[in-house]
Amino acid sequence: MDKPKIILFICNWGPHAAFQALQDKDADIPAEVRMIRIPCTGRMSKSLLFKSFEMGADGVALVGCEPGSCRYGSGTETAERNVEDMRGILHLLGLGGDRLRLAMFLPDESDALLQFLQDFRDVIDTIGKSPVTPHPRDLSALSHMETARVVASHDVYACQDCGKCSSACPVTLSGKTFSPRAMANAIIGGDLDSPSVVEDVWSCLTCGLCTDRCPSVVNFPDFIREMRHVLKGGGVEGHQSHGGFFQSLMRTMTSPDLSINHWDWLPEDIKTDEKSSILYFGGCAPYFDTFFRHHLGVNTSDILSDSLRLMNFFDIFPAVQPGERCCGHDLLWSGDEENFLRLARLNAKAFEEMGIEEIVTSCPECFRTLSHDYPRAGIPLNVKVTHVYDLLEKEISKGAVGFEESDHKITFQDPCRLSRLEGRPELPRKLLQRLRPRGFKEMQDRGISALCCGNCAWTGCDSYTKALQNKRLRQAKVTGSDLLVTACPKCQIHLKCAMQDPFRGNEIQMEIMDLTGLMAKTIKWE
Amino acid sequence: MATKPKAVQHKEVLITGFGGQGIVLAGQILGKAASLVDRKESTLTQSYGPEARGGACSAQVIISQSTIHYPYVRIPHIVVCLSQGGYDKYAKSIRPDGMLIVDQDLVRISEGSDLTLYRVPATRIAEEVGRRMMANIVMLGFLSAVSDLVTREALHETVVKSVPKGTEELNSTAFNKGHDYGAAILKGMEKKAAGKKGAK
Ligand code: SF4
Ligand code: SF4
Ligand code: SF4
Repeated sequence: MDKPKIILFICNWGPHAAFQALQDKDADIPAEVRMIRIPCTGRMSKSLLFKSFEMGADGVALVGCEPGSCRYGSGTETAERNVEDMRGILHLLGLGGDRLRLAMFLPDESDALLQFLQDFRDVIDTIGKSPVTPHPRDLSALSHMETARVVASHDVYACQDCGKCSSACPVTLSGKTFSPRAMANAIIGGDLDSPSVVEDVWSCLTCGLCTDRCPSVVNFPDFIREMRHVLKGGGVEGHQSHGGFFQSLMRTMTSPDLSINHWDWLPEDIKTDEKSSILYFGGCAPYFDTFFRHHLGVNTSDILSDSLRLMNFFDIFPAVQPGERCCGHDLLWSGDEENFLRLARLNAKAFEEMGIEEIVTSCPECFRTLSHDYPRAGIPLNVKVTHVYDLLEKEISKGAVGFEESDHKITFQDPCRLSRLEGRPELPRKLLQRLRPRGFKEMQDRGISALCCGNCAWTGCDSYTKALQNKRLRQAKVTGSDLLVTACPKCQIHLKCAMQDPFRGNEIQMEIMDLTGLMAKTIKWE
Repeated sequence: MATKPKAVQHKEVLITGFGGQGIVLAGQILGKAASLVDRKESTLTQSYGPEARGGACSAQVIISQSTIHYPYVRIPHIVVCLSQGGYDKYAKSIRPDGMLIVDQDLVRISEGSDLTLYRVPATRIAEEVGRRMMANIVMLGFLSAVSDLVTREALHETVVKSVPKGTEELNSTAFNKGHDYGAAILKGMEKKAAGKKGAK
């Protein structure tokens, strides 16, 4: 068997001297260890730490300086937080948090460093090889043929050059030099190297507002999705948020042998039934919460537990899949169709093995992906896919159920995947109408015309999308509401992120809660 | 379920409302389902008189395991009221351990009785389904959930056979809505009794 691969990231300033001393002494440094010198442990972002595992590392040691001795002041604390979060992610993935270690040594502590490395090697030996199988992507030259096919299949030629898309597009309106029309024309013209292609394809939010306004109904979201795939195949990548961590995470999940722990955090009051033919598909919220724990403090896993509580309220006890993987939405929408397909196949197989007949999900992206994009990609699931809102609406409309009054004035952020792409803005509203808040006021742009939360598929986040989010939050504020109700974990994350803007302060601050949370809190039998 | 009465031995049911609500049809369907499908004995008598022209009217159904010797309802086990007049006239006659079912939007209840009482928005549900006059069918659906006079299947089958051609589907929906409402009410009562009123 292969020897395990251990990466040692070691800070240049302190412990590297200790490492050199070991080398000079020709000490018994484990042969599995590959050393990489870094300027500071604090510079090892979560995505870089994780990337090593995606690429097949069995263990990663991050070695830096004692907190007080960091040359840059706060490097060690940053490293502590990053390592803690990443250990959480490794645990969820079933790789085990112990594969990642942080340690600190002074320049003269070479013996202790050696001891640490030998111990770590033994630990990794005991845990064994990582089940992650990396998939390096084959790149080819940018294909004009492929582009022509994409253009034709979405009938982009039908564009009349009218400019309605640009006047509706929230990215253009945020002030960015970005024009869907110009991008479409450049692509049609085969000008794939122009900035309006190379950059703008990655800036589109795939929100679909333009399609709604376009006289020729040019479907930008679908068109852009496939153009990203073509560009990426030619090595043209866009800017991915958080160093591409989420894409990296999803690609890692394509390894078939992972034993993921998706649900071991689930509160005990919730009942599930592994024999049920109904599966509740939760989505990646536990990863989001772990990743953003020290940054935004989001709690999107509550959406999962509250959805299950609401189902339990109606005596529905679905199965959950302990090894649940990502549905692949963000890979598909950031140009990585190969790995999307890998995930889709693994998921389809798992559902079949569990004997599932119906999948219930509360995430608009999972809903769209499972019900729409899997069959479109040639992976039909022979199951019914239900959004939890449909299930709840059905149960509540049977009668005998009411809601407690709640002391909030609320407004609602439409999830683009459900309200616009699926064309069902009325669905969450039916439920909202049943609630008894102190007030419910819609924002200026709502329903299928709603403004986006500012990001899709962790791609293209920049100061312009921040401006867009600002605008959205102001719209929410103007309603006079004190609670922004959301229906997608991502809306919650991206909008909370925008609220951190130190210059806007209270102007755009607002409490956020998912619709399932508000329902679970107030629902009652009459 | 805990709130259902014990298996039918001999049950007297009174359905009341005003002319035009399909009261007698409801009685017929109930009786037919019990006898022709569930193979029990049943009788139906109906009040005529001035009531048939828009005032209070009633259908009296008896369902029994054995031969019925007297077809009139004396002390009903179950009274279903679709009008205030029917309630005022018949609610008092009900057995102390009986069950009273009213259309909550049409009947105001005078307080203070120990009966099992269900308020059902039957007319409202029927309106949602599409026809106000299907409140009687909604009530039958409800009855099939909260009592064991007849099986749900028997009643549903008889509803579909007895309503005018072309309205089978609507009536079937109305029946199912009534049943779901009844089942939801029972579930709610059970949950509340177990101290689980909400979801958290
Ligand atoms: S709105 Fe449609 S037709 Fe008009 S410029 Fe945009 S893509 Fe072309
Ligand atoms: S999909 Fe949305 S972000 Fe993309 S071009 Fe259309 S309106 Fe702009
Ligand atoms: S809005 Fe914030 S959380 Fe969302 S992608 Fe951008 S930086 Fe990340």
